[in-house]
Formats: sequence, C-alpha cells, structure tokens
Amino acid sequence: MHGAKRRKIQIAALYSLLGGTVLAVLMWRQTFPPLALWLAFATAFAFFDWRSVEVNDRMLMSPTVMVALTAAVAFGPGTAALGVAAMAALGAFSADDFRQRRWFQPIANFGQLVVAAGVSVFILEWFLERALSSTGDTFWLWIAGGSAVAATVYGLINYTFVTVAVRAVFEKRDLRPWSNLGQLLPSYLLMGFVGGLLGATYTVLPVVLPLVFVMFIVGYLSFASYGQLREAHEATLRGFIKALEAKDLYTRGHTERVAYFSQLVGEEMGFTGTRLERLRWAALIHDVGKLAVPRDLIRKKGRLTEDEYEELQVHAHVVEEILAEVEFLRPMVEIASSHHSHFDGGGYGGVGHTHGAKPSPEACILAVADAFDAMTSTRSYRMALSQDYAFSELRRNAGSQFDPEVIEALYRALERTTERYGSPHLASEDEARRLAEGRPVTSHG
Amino acid sequence: MGDPRVPIKSPLVPVIWALGSAALAYLLMGQTQKSLLEIGVWAILLAEASLVSLPASSGNRLSLAFAVSAALPFVLTSGGAVDLAAAGAASAMGLLGTWMFRTLRSDPAEEVMAAVLRHGFGVAAYLVVFAGVESIADSIPVPDGSTDWVHLVGFAVAASLWFLIETSLWAFMVFGRNRLSRRYLWLLAVKDWTVVLSLLTTGALFGFAWAELGFWAIVIAGIPYGFAHLAFYRYQESRRTYGQTIRALSRIPEVAGLSPKGHSDRTSGMAIEVGQDLGMTPDEVTDLQYSALMHDIGRITLNEPSILKMGFTDEDIARWGAEIVAEAPYLSHVATLVSQQHQPYRRPGEERDLELPMASKIIKATSAYDHATMELGFSPLEALEVLHRGAAYDFDPDVVQAVRRALERRGVVPA
Repeated sequence: MHGAKRRKIQIAALYSLLGGTVLAVLMWRQTFPPLALWLAFATAFAFFDWRSVEVNDRMLMSPTVMVALTAAVAFGPGTAALGVAAMAALGAFSADDFRQRRWFQPIANFGQLVVAAGVSVFILEWFLERALSSTGDTFWLWIAGGSAVAATVYGLINYTFVTVAVRAVFEKRDLRPWSNLGQLLPSYLLMGFVGGLLGATYTVLPVVLPLVFVMFIVGYLSFASYGQLREAHEATLRGFIKALEAKDLYTRGHTERVAYFSQLVGEEMGFTGTRLERLRWAALIHDVGKLAVPRDLIRKKGRLTEDEYEELQVHAHVVEEILAEVEFLRPMVEIASSHHSHFDGGGYGGVGHTHGAKPSPEACILAVADAFDAMTSTRSYRMALSQDYAFSELRRNAGSQFDPEVIEALYRALERTTERYGSPHLASEDEARRLAEGRPVTSHG
Repeated sequence: MGDPRVPIKSPLVPVIWALGSAALAYLLMGQTQKSLLEIGVWAILLAEASLVSLPASSGNRLSLAFAVSAALPFVLTSGGAVDLAAAGAASAMGLLGTWMFRTLRSDPAEEVMAAVLRHGFGVAAYLVVFAGVESIADSIPVPDGSTDWVHLVGFAVAASLWFLIETSLWAFMVFGRNRLSRRYLWLLAVKDWTVVLSLLTTGALFGFAWAELGFWAIVIAGIPYGFAHLAFYRYQESRRTYGQTIRALSRIPEVAGLSPKGHSDRTSGMAIEVGQDLGMTPDEVTDLQYSALMHDIGRITLNEPSILKMGFTDEDIARWGAEIVAEAPYLSHVATLVSQQHQPYRRPGEERDLELPMASKIIKATSAYDHATMELGFSPLEALEVLHRGAAYDFDPDVVQAVRRALERRGVVPA
C-alpha cells in the first residue's frame, strides 16, 4: 500500500509539472482571449467535464473535446492554445473531488488535460492560419479537418496519460476497461470535426452559439435521464429477484453470485459493451422461472416424479415467455433458457435451444457459472462442496456438458481475484449429502 | 412520403389542396417580392416534414414541421426584414399540404384537423410576434450589426408564445376526450418542452445559417439535431422497456396461480383512467400505474405452503408487496403506495384520512371493481353498486365517482 501511495505522488508531481510547464510557455507566447467569451466556453467545458453521460451500453461520453475545439476556433490563432489550456486547467478541479477530499485525481487530471489541450490546439493553430488565408469551402475544410486532427491528438495524449497513471498506480489492475481506444478514436474524430465546424460558424455568425448550446444541453439532459432510467431498470429487476429469492434459504443470493461469476468469465474472455451486458442480464433472469414454482417442489429431497418435473418445466417456461414479451429482454431470455443445454448439443435446453446444436458462448458461460455456484453453496440435500472439488467436477464434464474454455476462464479469473468459494475441505458428494442428512442445516445465506 | 400501401381514397383531397393553394397564390400576388416557386418549395418541405415525427415524453409524437415552420421567418426575408406575406403563405400552403398528406395516409380525420388547426394558430402567432419584435427594434436605436441578436430575441419570445398556444389548444380544444382533467392534459403537453425546444431551435439554427452560409446550414443544424434526436429516442425506448419489465414482473404471481390472471393489468388500466380524470399530474399517474401493476406482487409469498396454511389478510399482502417493491431502489414511493392499498379512506367515528395517498385509494377501488366483475361475475353496474355501498368507509366517494365516469367513457354503463 505504501508503494502505491509513493507512486501516486510521483505521478501527480510529474503530470502537474508537465501541465504547469505547458501553461507557462503558453502564457509567455500568447495573449489571453476576450474574457467574456472565455468565461462562456469555460462554463460549458466545466459543465460537460464534471458529468459525463452514458450514450450507449455503458459507453461514457462527454463532449468536452468538442467544446474545446469550438472555443479554439472562436478564440483564433495567437490566443487559442492559452485560452483552451486555461479552460482545461479549470475543468480538472470539480466540486466532487474537494467534497470527497480526493487529491490525486484532480492534480493528475490537471496535468493531463492541460497538456492534451495545449498541444492539440497548438497544432490546430497551424491549420487555422492556413484557413484564414483561404476562402469559400476551403476555409471550412481546413478548419474542420484541422479540428479532427487536433481532437485525435487530444484523445491520444489523454489516453497515454491515463494508461501510464493506471499502470503505475494500480499495478495489478486489469487494463482492459481502458483499452477500447479503437472505439473511442472515431468519436473523437467526429466531435473534433463538429467542434471545428461550429467554431468556424461562430467566426462568421456569432448568434448560432447560444442556439447550439441549447441543443447540446437539451440532448445532454435527455441522455442523463436515459442513463438514470437504464440504471433504474437494472436495479428494479435485481431488487425484485433478490426479494423473491430471499424467501428461500437455499437459493438466497444464488442469482447475484451467478451474475458475478458470469461477468468475471465474460471479462476474462474479452467480452465488452453490449455483449457483456447481455450476459449479465441473462444471468440475472436465468432462474426467474423458478420463482413461480411452488416451494415444496423445489425443496423436495428425493427425485421428482414425472408429473412434478412437468409442472416445474411448465412454470419456468411460462415465466420465460412473459419476460420474452419485453423486447429488450428477448435475447437475454434465449440465453437464459438454453443454459441447461450441453456444450456438445445434448441436454434438455429451452426456447433458444435446438437439439444437437452447440449453445451460444453466453449460454455456455451461464451453464458453468450456475453449476459452479450450485456445487459451492449449501443446498437442502447437501452441504457446500469445496472449490477444488467443484473445478475437478467441471473439468470431468468438460467437452461434453461444459465448454472447457469457459471453465479455464473462470479458474483464471478466480485465481486473480484470490477469492474462494464453497467449504474449505469437503471434497466428496457423498460425504456432503450424509452431513446434510445427519444434522439440521443451518445457513446464514 | 405517406405509406405507399395505403391507396388514395378520394381524388377530392388533392383537388381541394390545389384549389386552396391557387387561392392563396392569387391573394399573394403583389404582396411579396418572393417568387411563387420559392414559397412553394418551403410549403412542400413543411408538409413533408409533418410526416416525420419523433416520440416525446407525453407519448405524443411531434413532427419536424415545428422545425421547418420555425425557420420560415429566417429564410423568407425581403430587404433584411421578415416577408410576412411570403412566410404566412408558405405556412398556409404547407398546412394544407399536411392535411392532404396525412389524410391520404389515412390518419384519423379528427386528429389531422386538430393538429392542423393547432399548428395554424401557433405558427400565425409566431410569425406575427417575430415580425413585431423586429419592427420594434427598427424604431429604437440599436447598435449596427446586431440584427441577428434582435432576431434571436424575437425568436425566443415568439417561440415561447407558440409553445404556450400549442399546449393550451392541445389540452382545451380536444375532441372525444373532453371529460378528462384539463390540468392533467396541459401538464402532459408541457412535459414535451424539451422536444419542442430542440425542434424550434433547430429551425432557427438552420434559418440563421442558411442566409449566411447556404448548404452548410444543413450540417450545422443537422448535427446538433442528430445528437438531441438520438437522446430523445434512447430515452423513450428505455422508458418503454422499463414499463414493459414492470408489467412482466407483475404477472409472476399470476403465472404461479397465486392471483387471478390479468387482474393487475386490468386494475392498472382502470386506475390510470381514474387518475387522469381526477387531475393527477403525469408523474403521479406513472407512479399510480406502476403501483397498481405491483399491488398484488406480495401474493408470491403464498408460494410457501406453510404461509398459505396459516392464513393471511389484505394487510399482509400489502406489506409483503411493499417489502418486495422496496428492494428496487428507484421505486420507493411506489412501495409506499403499495403498502397503503388496503386502508379505508375513513374509519367509523373519525374524519377521513387526509394522509392516505390518492393513488392507494384508487387502487383499492379499481382492484375491488375488477374483483367484482371478473371473480364474482357481477355486471359493471352491479360492481359499481358494490363500490357505492362501500363509500361510507372503504372507497373514497370522489374515486367512486371517477370510476363511474371512466365506465361511462368506456360505454359499459349508461351515462
């Protein structure tokens, strides 16, 4: 922990030094833009920088780079780099950081944003000078093209700074969440292009600026409510399942854990965005069908009769059909309902399963996560088994019932988190059953 | 363009449109320096735009005609000032075209007429106020080069008035639903302000840029609009999904055979109508809808055979339900409404309970109505009688009256 703190200080010192140098050089070389105009842009920049919104499937977006480039073009050469760098410096310090007494984030951000803004706008100024000496469409193309280039540079610098800091401070942390540069660059390019275009419009027609601000703020607020609604949606489903599950001592927390294991495996196997989200949702609803089944049937110790088994299936299927009426949930229901089908095409499957066909990778992940949690938690008929036993059992059925790749991914992910599930020593199914019958089971969920 | 599958029903419609436009053109001659062709192009654009719409918070769809109409005073100018005759003519022709296109598309005639009238009044006010602000600015000394800013002020004032007129007309000039609360309807229309604002602003943005930069205006107005459009679209989509999920969850006890099939759905349908009738706000109606859907979710607890054996009361169902709903962090007030659904509005010897939320009282009455008609096999009139008889303690008389009105609107009991 001590080392992490030292590295944090080093990074913060290095970044703020770089940022300070850039700012000092710009102050020496350039003049400050008109204060009223600067304030208008700085407010917009800070507003967008302090709150980013979810645009699509957990992809966070904040149009700060667009505001920065609009401002750069509006300020014009000779003042732009200084003006934008000063905006960036201001944007790095948010009220939230002060309230929560975070010091590393704002200081590192300060350096990162100032360098990114200063350097990229400095490059843009070269294009701006070309643009000012041309007329007609060439004027627009120079500016918009230059802004797109500048935005890309801005994005690359930001990305480099973040990567270096994350690698240095959180050595063990997985870098994958930050590695979606390929996804981010096109949006930087587009935002830069639009930002430049709007800035150029401002130079000939200042009146459009308030109108454009209005448009972006309205859209931005809608995106914010959209993000909130998505969160509410997931929280509602999660809450309901948790509450309904809590009625039963033995299944309590099962869904949450299966969702967690699925997420771990999904990340390990390189799922991102929509795909990862679909997997998590499928895990959340994979057992919803059971909620409609009478408890005594679920809790029954011996084998189910043909009729009882039939009843269980019918209940589960009806619930699946109801959930499939929600368009958004349909793909998740298909995954969830085929999680009992086997890797080699066998098993009884569900709506989304055709006999003999290989189930989807998502269904394979869910099958492993479900089986793993079933073995490592206490059931009415047996005690929890140990994690090692669970893995050896999964591996024994690899290739037939379970996807071997998924089993190994779960193994690696749990090794990395160093978490252990199940009883520490129980390694025999028979012993676990005997123990469960020998004395009343006590569980604390 | 209209849906190609719909055949043109009457050749009279285009004839009326042609005659109307010709009459307008005749009146216009000598009033404007703009060519008929230019005015015609804007009119056609306006009519076409009315066929493209986007969903707004109220559940209404708002058409792009807002944007085109908003741009008219910017693009139809003579000598730097608004050409009121040309803009008015383009609007009138465009609205006639709207009427023609939408009629050919087989939209309900009443709805089309109402939309054209609303829009007509709104646009007329917008154009007149816009020109008025411009002429006021002419008579007082404003600094040179501030024409654009004068137009911006004119636009802001005129657009606000337009929005006020549209929403008021929508709420008060209604056909067929004239017994719903005006307050509810007006608040519902006002909820769309973000979409209206972005449509009108897009029009103004395009208008400013068109005069100065020509076709670049499409890009400059189009990109901010695209951003806002995507935002509205995503928001509406997730709102719909959220509602669908809640409805699906509410049916779990029904599937398990623990509560009657379709009960929560029917109860919530009736509850919404009653809530709208009683002048709740749109947000309150949404909460009412969710809590009516969820009012029997507590019955899932009966899945446990031992509880079923012990017996249970309405209060237990309400409490269990509220406990389940409370697990969803965004539905805490829905949980409160669910927890009070069994309460009588008044107890013997006491004043009526003013603390009891209206939504809970509505759920109690509408749920009882559905129980009487579907489980006990009563006719609607008999079921209403049950509510009336219970109005001393169980059912709030105001709610019972609103249920009666809702049933009258549905045509199941005589007015």
